[in-house]
Amino acid sequence: MTYFFQLVVSGIVVGSIYALSALGFVLIYKSSRVLNIAHGQIIAGGAFIVYALTVFVGLPIYVSFVASMVITFFLAMSVERIFLRRLIGEPIISVIMVTIGLMSILNGVIYLTPFGSLNYSFPEFLPTTPISLGGVSISWTQLVGVIITALLIGAFSWFFKRSTIGISMRAVSDDQFAAMSVGISVPRVFGLAWAMAGLSAAGAGAIIGNITGLNFETLGAFGITVFPVVILGGLDSIVGAVVAGIIMGLIQQFAAGYLDGNWGLNGTADVLPYIILLVILLFKPHGLFGTHEIERV
Amino acid sequence: MKRNRFGYLAVVMAVAAGLACSAPAVAGETYQLGLSLAITGPTSDAGNPYSKGVEDYMRFANDTGILGDAKIDCPIRDDMYETAVSKRNFEDFLDQGMIFFLSYATGANQALAPDFTEVQIPVIPASMDSSLMKASPYIFLPIASYSHQYVGVAEYVAANHKGDGTAKVAAFIHPSAFGRAPLADFEAAVAAGLKLDLVEVVEHGKDLDNSALLQRLASKGVQYVLCQTVQSPVATLLNDAQRLGMTAKTFGEPGKITFMGAHYTGGNDLIALAGTAAEGFHWTTSYRVTSEKGPWTDWQLDMAKKYGRDDKTANSHNYASGMMAAQVAVEAIRRTREADQKVTKETLYETLNQMNGDKVFTSLAAVGPVTYSTTDRMGVDNVQLYVVKDGVFRSVGQPFKPKYLK
Repeated sequence: MTYFFQLVVSGIVVGSIYALSALGFVLIYKSSRVLNIAHGQIIAGGAFIVYALTVFVGLPIYVSFVASMVITFFLAMSVERIFLRRLIGEPIISVIMVTIGLMSILNGVIYLTPFGSLNYSFPEFLPTTPISLGGVSISWTQLVGVIITALLIGAFSWFFKRSTIGISMRAVSDDQFAAMSVGISVPRVFGLAWAMAGLSAAGAGAIIGNITGLNFETLGAFGITVFPVVILGGLDSIVGAVVAGIIMGLIQQFAAGYLDGNWGLNGTADVLPYIILLVILLFKPHGLFGTHEIERV
Repeated sequence: MKRNRFGYLAVVMAVAAGLACSAPAVAGETYQLGLSLAITGPTSDAGNPYSKGVEDYMRFANDTGILGDAKIDCPIRDDMYETAVSKRNFEDFLDQGMIFFLSYATGANQALAPDFTEVQIPVIPASMDSSLMKASPYIFLPIASYSHQYVGVAEYVAANHKGDGTAKVAAFIHPSAFGRAPLADFEAAVAAGLKLDLVEVVEHGKDLDNSALLQRLASKGVQYVLCQTVQSPVATLLNDAQRLGMTAKTFGEPGKITFMGAHYTGGNDLIALAGTAAEGFHWTTSYRVTSEKGPWTDWQLDMAKKYGRDDKTANSHNYASGMMAAQVAVEAIRRTREADQKVTKETLYETLNQMNGDKVFTSLAAVGPVTYSTTDRMGVDNVQLYVVKDGVFRSVGQPFKPKYLK
């Protein structure tokens, strides 16, 4: 049973990081119906900013972590203002193509820095001795990662449900014209959605970077890695991102723990989530918690 | 830290000897070379310092007149790890009159191998995949192939395992030809009598947590994990093993796992990524590392300083690797000139094939001489085992040649 519980704990850890990474996609899609393909680059950028502020500037890592989220908040908001604001009302495919271009630009910018081609790791700021309970262990890095993820997701959920701006964002998501007719500034909402996605991406980047080390390739690829989570959860659901993240994390760990290496199987941990995703989408095409829109024609 | 002055002197003398012997066959010529590699994109963490190593050695060769008053022009182009771009770069270089090509990735070399053969141009790749030697007779590996490094690690395990019975090992490999090719040679070595029990082959993904994998391997009695991949997945594996208390503190510690790997799994980048979890990691390569002071490493650090490189680049084994590739190319040109031959693709190819017997080339960047012939296109045959101790790589024993590979 210890083995089973270890897999559960590992699955939840991985799943919650997936959820936080997926959150950026959801926040933008929820308000603007746009998929930001450059999300992985923002995740990587956030992690690099934390490192730069900690090691090059000398700030305490906790301060750098918060500062990084503030910086990416404004950076993402600027990106929306400069590149995407003009595309409001244009076909969605045009906007997605712009985000692909944005990915190239961000790649180029990061390659101009040492982070583009060199590997780094955060200075150790947490105890290296893991926490063990009944033979099940979790590292401090993982535990802190899960706690931060829970806090951020809780804060975003509250924001969308209770705050005036959050409710405005949901209104824009439901019907842009109706939202405008009651005085909500749609461009402002879009900017804010990007900014919040940037903030969550920085948080995710710092957590992932602390686990894998700071390698641009690994961090940048994470935007695509979590894509099945976003689809499974339903593109516009925060709860969906959390549930799907944890489902994916658990599936991967159980596949690695019980299938891989047995009966000639290998790599099922990478493939099985996609198979399950396909099966679920057959029955729930909008994902587990996605909005099912019925249009009258 | 006290430097080995005599050794350093030996490097300077060797370079001076090169200068003395470099009576120019044709004065004032410029030899056109070319380097195409991933300075950005996948594997650029290796490609970037490699390119700087080539660039610095070429500058050094021109600055110090190793080729008399002849010069080398070696443009460096980023191919972003894309074969199509690499091919375009190669063709552009040919149009510029290139006589020696420095290439990079396994895939691009395999794709371009027929072209190398067709235009009969000597090539030194950064990849050490043994299949490249079969793909074209014009490809010369700088050091021992991945297969040699991997089987070298395996032979060390077989020879030094202290427990009862045959050592149980697992292979942790990159899901590509780069990861699989050495495994095939490893399996051949086991079939040929190398006493190891290969329990499982793991082709890794982008895992954030390897608890399941590690516990499964431990439950099967695996004591050694042999890695053939790049540093990032190894770092995550080591971090997880440390968290689960599975990492062997000494080689072969019973009940724990000793992690080992070939060239691209190790180096300072692994320590940068894994931190203290890298302690005890065993690694093979044919290059010397700057944590082991010696004449070459002193010289390497001085070169890096001279050309304004940062500490990370200066101490990278990929920087040394780039320097050595450039060194072999320059040496081939120097010897061809010395023989009063016109320096062309064809004569450089002949010169490389004659680098054997009393004509071996000793580059102090590696742990053995560079030897080539028409039947041997793997430069340095020796590998050196290193282990991470107190945050740096330290050598274990002497350089050796794996016995189970020809």
